[in-house]
Amino acid sequence: MAVTKHKKIAQNDRALKAMLASAGCALLAGLPTQSRAAELDNWDFDTAALIYAEGDSRVSAFEPVVNATRNFDSETKLNLKLAFDTLTGASPNGATPSDQAQTFARPSGKGSYTTSAGDQPLDDTFRDSRGAFSATWSAPLGRDWAYSAGGYLSSEHDYQSLGANGTLSRYLNQKNTTLTFGLNLSADSLNPEGGLPVGLSRAPVPGSSTFSTDLSNSRDGSSDNKQIVDVVLGVTQVIDRKTLMQFNYSLSSSSGYLNDPYKIVSVIDDNAGANYGGNFVKDGSNLYLYEKRPDSRLKHALFWQGKRQLDNGDIVDLSYRFMFDDWGVNSHTVDLKYRWDLGKHYIEPQLRLYTQSAADFYQRYVTSSDYQALDEVSADYRLGDLDTYTLGFRYGYRLSQDSELYTRVSFYQQASSGDSGFGKLKDQELYPDTTATMVTVGYRF
Amino acid sequence: MTKNIQQLPLHHESHPQPELTFQQGFFQVSFQSMASDCELLIDLPEDRVGMVKHLADIAIREVWRIEQKYSRYLQENTFSRIHQHSGHWQEIDEETYRLLEFADQGWQISDGLFDLTSGVLRKVWSFNGGDQLPEATAVKALLADIGWSKLDYRTVGNKAELLLPEGMELDFGGIGKEYAVDRALGLMLAEAQADGTPLSVLVNLGGDMACSGLRQNGESWKVAIERPDSEQSSLALLSLSGGGLATSGDSRRFLLKDGVRYSHVLNPKTGWPIQDAPRSITVAAPSCVQSGLIATLALLQGDKAEDFLRATGLRYWLVPA
Repeated sequence: MAVTKHKKIAQNDRALKAMLASAGCALLAGLPTQSRAAELDNWDFDTAALIYAEGDSRVSAFEPVVNATRNFDSETKLNLKLAFDTLTGASPNGATPSDQAQTFARPSGKGSYTTSAGDQPLDDTFRDSRGAFSATWSAPLGRDWAYSAGGYLSSEHDYQSLGANGTLSRYLNQKNTTLTFGLNLSADSLNPEGGLPVGLSRAPVPGSSTFSTDLSNSRDGSSDNKQIVDVVLGVTQVIDRKTLMQFNYSLSSSSGYLNDPYKIVSVIDDNAGANYGGNFVKDGSNLYLYEKRPDSRLKHALFWQGKRQLDNGDIVDLSYRFMFDDWGVNSHTVDLKYRWDLGKHYIEPQLRLYTQSAADFYQRYVTSSDYQALDEVSADYRLGDLDTYTLGFRYGYRLSQDSELYTRVSFYQQASSGDSGFGKLKDQELYPDTTATMVTVGYRF
Repeated sequence: MTKNIQQLPLHHESHPQPELTFQQGFFQVSFQSMASDCELLIDLPEDRVGMVKHLADIAIREVWRIEQKYSRYLQENTFSRIHQHSGHWQEIDEETYRLLEFADQGWQISDGLFDLTSGVLRKVWSFNGGDQLPEATAVKALLADIGWSKLDYRTVGNKAELLLPEGMELDFGGIGKEYAVDRALGLMLAEAQADGTPLSVLVNLGGDMACSGLRQNGESWKVAIERPDSEQSSLALLSLSGGGLATSGDSRRFLLKDGVRYSHVLNPKTGWPIQDAPRSITVAAPSCVQSGLIATLALLQGDKAEDFLRATGLRYWLVPA
C-alpha cells in the first residue's frame, strides 16, 4: 500500500511540476528567455603552434596559430584566425634522380644547385613565410535560418590569396536537421621568383651554351592569377541525443594559372645506346621541361561523417571522403578518431588513410621521342598515384570548465608508385617514401 | 570611488526622476513604481552609458506602463474601464487576456485558492498588527462577489472578451509586479540582442526580481532584500545567478486576537485567513511570474506549504508561522 501511495504522490508531483513549469510561459510569450547567454563566455581562444618536420630533414615548418571567437549570444559569433608559417628546407623539383650529377638553376635564374648521382633532386632554396588572416561572422536569421559570412587573406612572397565565403543554413525538425548551402570565392595571384615559367618550355641549365636563350624563352611575364569557386551543399542530421551525421557534396572549380612554377620534368633518352634511360642531352646539356597543367579543374567531393558519443562518454568520429575531378584524379580518405574520456584528461588516437590515383597528365618523366608532342605534363608527386597514412595522438588536459591544454603528435607516411622507368633509369629510386612528424601544442581558453 | 549620480530624462507625474550611478563595476538605476523602490542593475562597461540609458528607458517605461494600466488607484486606465463595464461582455486587449489565462492556471493548480477576485476582502480585513477582527456576517456578504468561476472570458475571432459580473473586482496586484519584472528584463534583453551587445542585467521591483544570468565577470548578482524572517527592518544578501525570485507574504501584516495570530493570507472560499500559513515564502524559479505564483500558491497551502514547495523542486526560503 505504501508503495502505491508513494507512487501516487510522485505522479502528482510530476503533474504539479509540469503545470508550474508551463505557467507563465504564454504570459511572457515573445520575450527572450532569461537564462540565455547566462554562462556564455565572451571570448574563446585557441592558440597553438605546429612543428612539422619531414624525414631526412627535408622540409620543416613552424606555424603558430591564434584562433579567437567572440560570442555575442549562443548563436551569434565572430571568429578571427591568424596564422604564420615559416617553411624551410628542400622540396622535390620533379626531376628524376640520375646516374650523373645534375645541376639546376635556382628559380630566380641566378645561382644553381647540384644534386649528386643517385640522389633525389631537391630544390634547397625552399624557404617561405606565410601570413594568413580570416574572419567569419555567423548569426541566426529568425528562428529557422542562420548564415555566416567571411573573408580571408593570405600572403607569402610569391603568392597571395584573397577570398570571401558565405553559408546559409535552414533548420528543420526542431533543429534536428540542418540544410546548408555554402559558397566560397577565391582570387589568387602568383608572382614566382624569376618570373612566370612557360609550360613545357626548356628549363635553363646553368653553364649550358643555351642558358640565356632558355631563360628568356621560358619566362612570360612576372605574374598570373587563378580563381576558385566552391559550392557546398550539406545536410546535418541529429540521429539521437548522442549521434550526429553529416553529408556534404562540394563542387570546386579552379581556373587560370594552375601550374606549380617551381616544378620541372626530366626528359629521358629512349634512343638505343649507352645513354638509354639516362637524361636526354640537347645542345650539350640535360633537357628538363617546365611542367604544364590544364588551365581549369573541376573537382567533385562527397563527404560523410558520423559522430557518436558512447555511454561511457567516449566519442567515435568516423568520416569518409570521395573526390574525383576532370584531371582524372580520384581519391578516398577515411579518418577515424576515438576520444577516450578520462575525466580531466582525454586521449584521442587518430588513423587516417588516403589513397589517390594519378592525374591523366601525370608522368614521372617524359621520353626524348614523345616530349615534343606533349600537351600537358606534371611530375609533381602530389598528382601521382599516392597512398598516405597518418597515425596521430592527441592528449588534452582540462584545466577548468573551459580551458584546455593539448598536444598532438602525428606520424605521416607517404608512398608513391608508378612506372619504374627503363634502361639506366630502372636503377634509380623514382618514388621515394616520405615520412613526416607533426607536433602541435595548444592552449584553449 | 565617487558616486556620480545622473538623472535620467524620464518624467512621471507622481514618481521622482530615475537616477543612474556606476559603481562596483556595473550601472545601477533606481526608480519608483508600484509603491516600491525599484532598481535595474546593468552590467556594461562604463563607456556604454548611452546604451545603459537606452535600456533603462525601455525598462522603466514598461514598468510604469504596466503600473498605469492595471493600478486600482488610477483613473481612466484598463483596470477602471474593465470595472466600469462589468455585467456585460466587453472587449479586452491581448495582454489582459494573457494575464487572465495565467490567473486561471493558478486557480486550477491551487484548486481554487488562488483567486484574482478575492481582493474585495480587503474592504473588511486590515492587517495592521491590531486585534480588530471583522464581523463574520460582513465577510460572508462579500463572498457573493468572490469566485473565479463566476467570471468568464473567451476569444471571438481575433478579439478577446471578458464578462465580469457586477460588483466583482479583479486584483492584478498579485501578479502585476512580477509580470513587470519579467517584461522589463525581457525587453532589455531583446534590445541588447538586436544590438549585438552581450548583456547581464537584473530587475528588482521591491524585492521581486529576475536576472538574465551571471554577471559578465562570471559572478552571481548580490542583491540585498528585506529579510522576510524578521519583523524589524533588516537586510539579507542573496546571490542570484539566473531566473526569477519573488516573495509572498509579509511578516509585519497580521492580526493578533486572544493569542491567535491571523495571517493576511485569506482563503477566498471562506473569506478568513488560512491557518498556520508561513509568514512569508521566497521562491526562485525560472521567471519572476513563476516565482511569485509558486510562493503565493505555497502560502495558500497553510501548514502544508513546505510539502508543496518541496514537490516543486525549486529553491525556497520560508519564514514559519
